[in-house]
Amino acid sequence: MMHPSESQLALYAGQDLGRFATWRIARHLDHCLECRIAMRAFQHVSEELAAWNDVPPVAWNRLATEMQANIRLGLAAGECVRAADAQPFAWISAARTLAVCASVIALVAAGLFLQRPAPAPRAIATGNAVLRATANGIELNQDGQTLSLLHVHSTQVSYSAGAQGSMRAGYVDSDTGNVTINDVYVQ
Amino acid sequence: MSSKLAILFVAGVAALVAQDMPLDNSVKINLPPDSPLTLISANLGESHVSRRGSAIVLDLDVSLTLHNSSPNRVRGVTLLVAAQEFTPGGKASVSVPSLDVAPSQNFPVRINLRLLRPAQMGAGPLVQVNLDGVLFQDYSFYGPNRLDSRRSMTAWEMEAQRDRKYFKSVLTARGLDGLKQSMIEALNRQAERPRLDVQVSRGRAVGSAAAPEHNAKFAFLRFPDAPVEPVEGWAEIAGNEARNPRIDVRNLSGKQVRYVEIDWIVNDRQGQRFMAGSVPASGPEFNLKAGGTSRVVQDTSLRLSKEGGGPVSIAGMTGFVGQVEFADGKVWIPNREALASAQLLGILEPSPEEQRLIDLYRKKGPKALADELNKF
Repeated sequence: MMHPSESQLALYAGQDLGRFATWRIARHLDHCLECRIAMRAFQHVSEELAAWNDVPPVAWNRLATEMQANIRLGLAAGECVRAADAQPFAWISAARTLAVCASVIALVAAGLFLQRPAPAPRAIATGNAVLRATANGIELNQDGQTLSLLHVHSTQVSYSAGAQGSMRAGYVDSDTGNVTINDVYVQ
Repeated sequence: MSSKLAILFVAGVAALVAQDMPLDNSVKINLPPDSPLTLISANLGESHVSRRGSAIVLDLDVSLTLHNSSPNRVRGVTLLVAAQEFTPGGKASVSVPSLDVAPSQNFPVRINLRLLRPAQMGAGPLVQVNLDGVLFQDYSFYGPNRLDSRRSMTAWEMEAQRDRKYFKSVLTARGLDGLKQSMIEALNRQAERPRLDVQVSRGRAVGSAAAPEHNAKFAFLRFPDAPVEPVEGWAEIAGNEARNPRIDVRNLSGKQVRYVEIDWIVNDRQGQRFMAGSVPASGPEFNLKAGGTSRVVQDTSLRLSKEGGGPVSIAGMTGFVGQVEFADGKVWIPNREALASAQLLGILEPSPEEQRLIDLYRKKGPKALADELNKF
């Protein structure tokens, strides 16, 4: 029996084959368990890739505006420094130094504002914590905030929930080849 | 003047960068002086720490190399990894079962997870890694056992022996082709096992379902050789949420039991069965004397959704005894024939050893798997 190549199975899993090739491989898969398993592995990978693309929304326009503002501030500060080096009069130099300091403080303040933490402080305060096992790993959710605690880069992960308030993930570590079992706890 | 400006600028940049920095010298690996394992090396890899409001998020990517300095073969290791122990997300454990480490041999352990701790906590290492237990070939154990790792690792080792015995019997009876076929069946079970998105919380879940709540009774599967049998049990069901399981169990053996675990299966309105979780009972309040009865209770909520889909409408529940630990430390697990005849192999997750053997087959083929099985 001629088996389809890996690339054909991958294209089939992603529904990227033509009609005839799809029909031909579907017929083969009906009778070949090994190819069906290989094709499912490709499907898992493409599902994972889709999940990786699922990044949290970022306010890019706001971010860009703030970055431009910071760059402008930095350039302005640089101009001030160059101008201060060339300035022969002390009183002008002092005024400009003040302006430079103010600019740098504004730069740092803007940077801190930009880098201000995501609103998660209550994630470790009181409240009802929920552990969640998904296809991508284990998440902790508390008071509407979600934090990924474990992300396993493997399609063969087994998850199990413990009613005492724990979540377990078992997988074969690709680096060590050992089965590794991680437990995380609600408390 | 320009040097002052440079200092100011560097300080500003440092303040920005300090929000995400490596974890150097902030992870402490604690192995007791009389430990049968010694630390050869600890590589912190891409581990880093970042701040989120009043919390610190610790991303751990640690590779440890440990040395077996005992005269026994090591079968399993459990490490307790803690940034703080009392709030969610602060503590985790890493277990490596199915090992076969000879005396004087080194072996790797990977710690790859994320922890939380409050930013205002005192000085000292941000993360402490402590040895919770080591299980040896003869089932002897070393360690403080705070996580009850002795029981877990003993059960995993018994499952490993059970599953290796099964695959070895296939190899003996049907040769490499038979072994290959049984691996394909195991892979197929893994691929077709219905998966759930499970949420677990203590008490009532946040935003609990508004669906009408009712008490549902468990149906039980009984294994002929089980030392404990479930008598009756209930849980509150509301839509896709199951809460507060309470299960009465009877000790059929002549020995005192200190731990019982009931595995919990739910089925939806289409008749599909899913593994929801396990309901353990242990601790000083749990006392199951020879011939006695006791109640397994957990104040917990499980919410079940289909992976990537809608909620599972829970139509029924089935339970069975998945693990028993006696007061003398001996452990009972169901045998493979009982699981197969109850059609549970397609629902339960494979044992860690079965996962390892499947992975070995996938990566190296049936010959390498046969060689591995023949080592034991």
